[in-house]
Amino acid sequence: MTVADTCIHPYPAGDSSLRRMAVEAGELGFDTIVVPDGTPLISSGVRVIPAALIAEESVRAVSGQIKKRGNGQSLVMVNAGENGFNRAVLNLKGVHVLRNLHLTRKQSFDHICARLAADRGVAVDLDFYPVIHTTGRTRQRVLVRFGELIRIYSRYRFPLTLSSNARSVLDLRSVEEITLLCSLFGMEEDDVEAALSTVGDLLNPPGPVRVVP
Amino acid sequence: MKPLPPTLRTKKRYILAEIEPPGAGADQKDLYHAIANAVTSLFGDVRAAAISPAVISSGPDYVIVRCARGGEQDLRIALSTVTAVGDVRIVLRPRATSGTLYALRRRLPQERPAEPEQPQEVHFRGRLYDARRYQGQKVDVIEKGIKRQELLFLTQDDLEVV
Repeated sequence: MTVADTCIHPYPAGDSSLRRMAVEAGELGFDTIVVPDGTPLISSGVRVIPAALIAEESVRAVSGQIKKRGNGQSLVMVNAGENGFNRAVLNLKGVHVLRNLHLTRKQSFDHICARLAADRGVAVDLDFYPVIHTTGRTRQRVLVRFGELIRIYSRYRFPLTLSSNARSVLDLRSVEEITLLCSLFGMEEDDVEAALSTVGDLLNPPGPVRVVP
Repeated sequence: MKPLPPTLRTKKRYILAEIEPPGAGADQKDLYHAIANAVTSLFGDVRAAAISPAVISSGPDYVIVRCARGGEQDLRIALSTVTAVGDVRIVLRPRATSGTLYALRRRLPQERPAEPEQPQEVHFRGRLYDARRYQGQKVDVIEKGIKRQELLFLTQDDLEVV
């Protein structure tokens, strides 16, 4: 079973090299890490999956970026926006993850988006960076938003992914710590396990059963 | 004064946490303030009072924190939100929880990790750094200079490739 941190930023975006990140992630219980604009490789026993982070404001631009950067080996992650944008993005072929929902308004991800995400197998990413690194009202907003997403998730069961968005080895957290942090907004341990193993299924979705003669 | 009988004393729990990077030079008092602030910020004054975190002892790479029984899970969550002690960036990784200090001290690694070797000068991406090597592949390099020294976390392979 895959145990993945869905987004980390090694050097030069951060202060730790990819190899060091892989060593530390392996020690913390992960076997897969997702790196924006990386190359697929295995380092220190940890699988590195490249990702294409798309931060566009129009659906047309997102579609263009998917055509340009989605190569079948990369995880395509799109920054969320308003409700209409999210619905359109969830309908696009080639999108794997919708991220940064904590930066959007409450109505941006409703039951229709949830059903779409569940039907099309698009994951919703929960980013732990603001939970760990911010305090006060900012963190409270993020926790409330994650709580709302988990409430919708418990009904529609769309795929979830968990990411640390670490820019340093000091930002990485262990699987156990992430499980504890998830309890802050009411996410059950089984759901955390499922969310950590989602990345493996996103790139290789289960297809229909075929009878091979 | 007669001491309280054991059945009436508040039950405690002790958490052993590893400090990374080792030898970051975090003072015990600063550690206490960082942990107390993290607990208060995350759970509020009322819950922080119930948890009652206190730093019992610390070393270059570990800290033992005491809390009231029932507060250990919340304290572990709060420990994972500690990102700095004073001006020093660190991370506290909870390793074990116990009801007695004796049991927890037995879980401390018997062999202390080797102290980092004397810093060596290395070149990385055209700049001069002091490198400290730790166990295994890990190498921390800090830029030589007076101000705005860049700290990087690398491996031996990274330096060899460069």
